[in-house]
Order: sequence, then C-alpha cells, then structure tokens
Amino acid sequence: MLQTDLSLEKLLFNLNTLAELGEEITSPKDFTRVVKSALYMVMGSFSATKGVIFQFDSDRGVFAPIASKGLGDVGAAHVKLSKETASALTKHNKPIDLKKGEHPVETLGEAAGVLEKLEARMIACLVVKDELLGFIAINGKFSGEDFSVYDCQLLSVMAQHISFSLHSHMLLMRLMHKYNENKGLYENLRRIYYDTIHAFAASIDAKDSYTRGHSHRVSAYSAVLSREMGWSHEEVEGIRIAGLLHDIGKIAVDKTIINKASPLTSYECRELNSHPVVGYEILSKIKFPWKGIPMMTRNHHEKVDGSGYPDRLKKTDIPIGARIMALVDAFDAMTTDRPYRPRLSFREAMDEVKANFGKQFDPDVVQPFLTVIRKEVRREVDNPTIVPLLQEQLDSVSLNRMLEGFPVA
Amino acid sequence: MVKKYRNFKEIGDAVVIYSDNYINDIEGEKLEDLCASYLDRGFTRIVIDFSETDLVNSIGVSILIGIIEKVRDSKGRISFSGLKRVNHDIFSIVGLTKHIQIFDTEEDAVNARARQGMVTT
Ligand SMILES: [Fe+2]
Repeated sequence: MLQTDLSLEKLLFNLNTLAELGEEITSPKDFTRVVKSALYMVMGSFSATKGVIFQFDSDRGVFAPIASKGLGDVGAAHVKLSKETASALTKHNKPIDLKKGEHPVETLGEAAGVLEKLEARMIACLVVKDELLGFIAINGKFSGEDFSVYDCQLLSVMAQHISFSLHSHMLLMRLMHKYNENKGLYENLRRIYYDTIHAFAASIDAKDSYTRGHSHRVSAYSAVLSREMGWSHEEVEGIRIAGLLHDIGKIAVDKTIINKASPLTSYECRELNSHPVVGYEILSKIKFPWKGIPMMTRNHHEKVDGSGYPDRLKKTDIPIGARIMALVDAFDAMTTDRPYRPRLSFREAMDEVKANFGKQFDPDVVQPFLTVIRKEVRREVDNPTIVPLLQEQLDSVSLNRMLEGFPVA
Repeated sequence: MVKKYRNFKEIGDAVVIYSDNYINDIEGEKLEDLCASYLDRGFTRIVIDFSETDLVNSIGVSILIGIIEKVRDSKGRISFSGLKRVNHDIFSIVGLTKHIQIFDTEEDAVNARARQGMVTT
C-alpha cells in the first residue's frame, strides 16, 4: 500500500470515528456507556493501551475517573488542580504532550504525579464555555510513534465532542438534583404535616377512653369511601385529614362528659354537641392545602332530613364530605364499645343504617359504602380497610343476607 | 487433540478464536475476556480469525490492542488470520500490523510454530 493511500485511508477512518463519536454522544444510551465508548474511540484512534476520562466532581473539588481502560481499578485516582492550573489549562485548550513538558505542564504540581502513575502521555482538556469539565488522559501510541500535529488536531476535535456530552449530562444532573431537592423538601413538609395531625388526632382520642382510634378509623373509612365515589387523589387526602380532625372540638369539652355512662343532662348535651362548631372555629383559622376541612368538621353531625346539628342542614346543603363522615362516624360509633352500651354487631349496625336510610344517612353515600364492604368481604381489593377493623368475621353469604332489604337509591 | 466449538477451537497450547461480524462497540470486550480466560488456563498462543468479520471500528481497535497487551503481559503469542482487505487497512492505519503476525488462514497461523517472535517490518 502506498503512503498516500494510507493517509487517505487514515483520514477516512478518522472521519468515520468522528461521525460515530458524534452519534454516540447524542444517543440516548446511559451516560457511563457513552463515556466508555467515547474513550475507546479515542484510544482506538491513537492505538493507546491505557486511558482515563476524568470529570470534575464539584462536591469533592477533584477530578475523578468516569471511564478507564487498561489500568485496572482507577477509582481512587483523583486529580486535584489549583484554580490557577485549571485556568491555565482552559486557556491553553489544546492537547498537551506531557513528555514534551511545555507550558502549561509546569503548572500541574501534584497532579503530575497521579498522571505519571497512570502512564499518561497526552492529556486533552474537556472545556465548555471556559469551564474545565474534565480531561482525557491516554498513554503513548502502541506503535511508539510520536503524536503528530494532525493527531493533536484530531484529539482536540474528539475532546470537543466529548466536552459537549459531559456538559449536557452535567446540566441534566444539576436539574435532577434541584428536582430531587425540592421533592425531598416537599415530602419532608408533608411528613411533618401528617405527623402533627396524627399526634393531634391521638390526643383527641385520648380524651375518650372508649374511642381510642376512632379518629383514625373515621379518617381511613372516609378515604376509602370517597375513593369508591370517584374522588380525586387530592380530595381523598383532604377528607383523610378531615377525618383525623373531625372531633377536634372535643378538646374543649370536659372529659367527664365525654366518658359519662349515664344519660347526659341538657347542659352536658349542649356542651358535647358544641364540638363541631368549636372544631370549625379552630380549623377555619388554619390554612390547609386541601379544601373543605373546616366545613366537613362543622357538619359531620348533620342529618339529611334536617334534624341534625349545628346547622340543621338538609341533604344537598350538607357538604358531601360531611355526609360521608356522618355515616362512617356513626358506623364506627355503633361498632365499637361506648360508655353507655357495648358495641353493636355488624348486622345490628346495618339494621340501624337501614332504618335511618334517607333520614339520618344519605342514600348516595350508603350505597357506595355497601359496595366497599361487599368488595372487601369478597376480597376484591388488595388492601381492605373497613372489614379487618370490625371485631367479627364476615362471609359473603351472610353479608348478602344482612344487606337484604336495603332500598335502592 | 482438537476441540472445536462455534466461536473457538483448541489445538494443543493454541486456541483459535473466531471474531464476530462486527467489532464496533463495547460489547466487543467479551472477546478480550475470552482471551484472558484462555491465558489463565495456560494457553500460550492465541489466533484471532477475522474471516467472518466485516467491520472493525476505532472501538474494535482499542479492544484488540487491549488483547495484544494482555497476551504480551502473560508472555504469550498472538496472531491474526483471515483478514479482509478493509480490516487489514485499518490495522495498518493504527500501526497494529507492525506489531503482530498476520496470516492468510488460521491453519497457517496455528502451524507457524517455527517462526518465533514478532514481525517488525
Ligand atoms: Fe363527632
């Protein structure tokens, strides 16, 4: 083969490599793989046997290897460059032959030792907009030849390609970092929020020795029922919080009234029945991220026939969330022990609901509630909420019998 | 004794490895791993046969150079055979042809016991 032919062939080979490199760095493959391929392309072009790509790690303030070949484990080979050195390299912005020792090699300082250990002969800086993002270090050619001016130009062009890849990846990482930071912050806030409310709910329930866990159950039942009724995720979260806080007004009611086994005097009754309004007063001063929590609290003892309290509202005047809570609140009160009576069985509770269908309870809420119970008993849902908390076993045959005679809404 | 598999053939202390259609991405490193495992098992002569190979790019070259280094480090010998013109040109561009023995066929490569050392011209 003639020497001129070889040059043309070489040019074509190198052009082809550049095209492939361009394709590689814009491909959607994962970054590690792209960088590795890019390094192999550089090494193949100069028949180098050892090579590393370093990237600046701003957390640690060092250049750390992100790809290497022929050097075993180089994970610990960090290169520290002073500001002056980095700016000298950036300004020079041409491949540097370490063997020649020309400027800016003398500025490398300690870094020269690390590079020597890696048998680096040529380094090419990865610079974008005057920022030194990293550099490539490769050893001498396998053939022992020196790097020609042409080789340096080729290495420089390849380095530019790789710089852009590093740059865009860095931007992406920064964006991801910001995103995760914000996400973490938000989740933290949310957790503090929930923790606070749960602690509050526990303190409400603590006042009433019989109703331990009542607020949690009302919260969970309301959430599962509203979800069954097609509420959005955000709305469900809102009623979940409302359920936890619905009896918050009881903190103003004397403990002895709450725990009294005998019938209440009219004064005591007024005191106890003030809790929805007191709760409303408290909660309407809090800015919740969800809508309707104070009103759901205020109206959770309303009845659809207008005989409830405190506002004696009728069916559609009662916020739908309050109608949901009215049902699950009464249901939980019936199915747990009270100071004045032991708990009712599920069948007895359902008979109560049936008897008050369309009077105390909204048929539009009762029907989906029955659907939830049916689905849970038939194990059609992954995480049953209500049935496991009942203190009795239900099977679908006896359930069907118990639910017979429910009017169709 | 000759053991022949799909991708390689063992003949005494020599092994012939048939390279893939393409050696053009980092997957090609499995060729390097294969050679390394033969060296570990005590094989001292490795022949890579390229008759089936249509394309070797710069990544392929870096992998092949890696293999040559490994063989040298373990004092073994490596030769190439069955090179198509296009591959020969590429190996010559990057200076590989000066450093290893190249034979027309794998048989020539395996039988070339007499010629020790490397061709340096
Ligand atoms: Fe209440």
